[in-house]
Amino acid sequence: MGMSHGEGRAVMPAARLPRDLIVALAILAFCAVAYAITLGFAKAPAAVAQNVQPATFPRLVIGVIAVLSAVLAAMSFRVDSARKGPVRPMVPVTAAMMVAFVIAFDTLGFIAAMVLFAAAMPVLWGERRWARVGAFAALFPAAIYVVFVLGLGVHFDAGLLGIN
Amino acid sequence: MDAFLAAGAAFLDPYLIGLVLVGTLGGVMVGAMPGLSSTMATALLLPFTLTMEPIPAIALLSALYCAGTYGGSITAILVNAPGAPPAAATAFDGYPLAQQGRAGLALGMAAVSSVIGGIFSVIVLIVAAPLLARVAYDFGPPEYFALALFGLSMLATISGESAIKNLIGGAFGVLLATVGMDFTTGVDRFTFGFWELSEGIHFIPVMIGLFAGCEFLTQAGQLDRVKVRAVLDAVRLPSLDDFRKCASTILRSCGIGTFIGLLPAEGGTVAAMIGYNEAKRWAKDKSQFGKGDIRGIAGPETANNAATGAAMVPTLALGIPGSATTAIILGALLVHGLRPGPHLFTETPTLLYAIFLAMLLANLVFGVFGLIGAKLFARVTLIPITFLWPSVFVLACIGAYALEQSVLDVWIMVGAGLLGFVLKRYGFAAAPIIMGLILGELVENSLKQSLIIFDHEWLRFLERPIVVAFLALTLLSAVWPLVSVLRARRAAAAAAAE
Repeated sequence: MGMSHGEGRAVMPAARLPRDLIVALAILAFCAVAYAITLGFAKAPAAVAQNVQPATFPRLVIGVIAVLSAVLAAMSFRVDSARKGPVRPMVPVTAAMMVAFVIAFDTLGFIAAMVLFAAAMPVLWGERRWARVGAFAALFPAAIYVVFVLGLGVHFDAGLLGIN
Repeated sequence: MDAFLAAGAAFLDPYLIGLVLVGTLGGVMVGAMPGLSSTMATALLLPFTLTMEPIPAIALLSALYCAGTYGGSITAILVNAPGAPPAAATAFDGYPLAQQGRAGLALGMAAVSSVIGGIFSVIVLIVAAPLLARVAYDFGPPEYFALALFGLSMLATISGESAIKNLIGGAFGVLLATVGMDFTTGVDRFTFGFWELSEGIHFIPVMIGLFAGCEFLTQAGQLDRVKVRAVLDAVRLPSLDDFRKCASTILRSCGIGTFIGLLPAEGGTVAAMIGYNEAKRWAKDKSQFGKGDIRGIAGPETANNAATGAAMVPTLALGIPGSATTAIILGALLVHGLRPGPHLFTETPTLLYAIFLAMLLANLVFGVFGLIGAKLFARVTLIPITFLWPSVFVLACIGAYALEQSVLDVWIMVGAGLLGFVLKRYGFAAAPIIMGLILGELVENSLKQSLIIFDHEWLRFLERPIVVAFLALTLLSAVWPLVSVLRARRAAAAAAAE
């Protein structure tokens, strides 16, 4: 158990801040924000809350995360995570496509969004066999429609294009 | 006995047998596909089982779980790309064997040892789960609180980049579970004015996002990766000599896998690694390990499949998941209105026996599928990822949407996917977050109930021996990995100084 701990780890170069220190500081900042949000929680009457206010447990968990982050920060000076290579440009492009798909899902309707996504995504990922792309863009949404809409009765809103 | 007969009768239904066969077939296929694991597949499938009765739904997911663990070995051996994390150790000797033109032998041993490990663990499940449930029957909120803490602390020891990061991930999951209305006071927490969030963040969209959405982005960064497939000869049963050579390894790995699986939060990946290491450690001739030793396949494959049934023991008997996939099955029990834990054994024994039978059947069937169809299953790696992963993402969106037919859940899924990708780059694994999210409600409710019972005197937790035992184990499991890392570093520094 725990055999993989320490795998892929490296002693940090002297000039750089430890990567895990930066991660720990980011988590501590998150904890501060989360704690500040708990200050806005409504207070319940004592008889209902029974001495455990709605904010008590989240604050306890935030405290635990903060303590663990402090340990991570302290340990980062001795053992740091190995640095990973840069994110390939296709990753943020794909992330943008994920978001665009949900926006299209909400506005154009699921079927239209799916046809557009099924046509665009393979091309974006470098697929140039156009017949296959065309077949995929037509057959995959059709299969999804048959299985989920006709078969399982999942209802999708028609969206602006009125297709469902 | 009546419940067993009722479950047996349910299994005479061709529909249920068909579902288990489909689950097994699907499990082997998704297990064989690198990047698609049985965990992700169960997460994707779960929303679509909501319209089913509980027995078929849980039987389908259990079959998928068992078969998916085995399926990963096929591509580990043929492509050197483990289809699922538990098969990573199988590639160490499986791929060299395939390169030597003995892929059939490797696949045969993987199938047979997986079946042995799987069936052994189901027998352990049948025997141990009711016993553990009987012990847990008298547990009160303080014991459940301590047990849930122990489950979360075990996250420190699961494989991942760092024990501390696993614990932070688990605590973050618990924090996510506090989103929504506080059940005792009715006050909204972290809802930011979205009334849809008052009911809390459902774990299904988060889970689908963390596994499928995150993997979609990971695959986007690996589009140029080239897989080299080994030529597959006929798959054949291992010979008597092969068995004789592997018998002690298989036996040992049955024990290792079962023990690791029984521990909360541990799963097949850890079991397989230990199974491999122990197979090597106990071998008289270690020279062929890493170059194509058949024991290097029998060890991890028996262990990871032995962990599957064992991981269901704490899941069913205590309501504490034994692994990431069983966390999803636990979630499936909850969404089907069932109460995992000791009461499951008294309230719905038929369902339990049906799960046992489904897992037993799945183990037998995937062995047959593996021996007959490994060549076919290996072809799933030929599906172009340019079509496969966009399809998986669309299915992930439908899975998230179908739960409540809400676009907000799709946003949550996508958000979880993006967050999961960022977290993964910084060494945080998805499984601890899911475990925390699922256990969060139990932790909070049992703590609150305990505090009311103890009249807010925290020290009274220490008056209960079971609580003290679990708290001691919690401390040990949380601190031990940190101590091991520091000791390993000190030893490495001392060796370097010499």
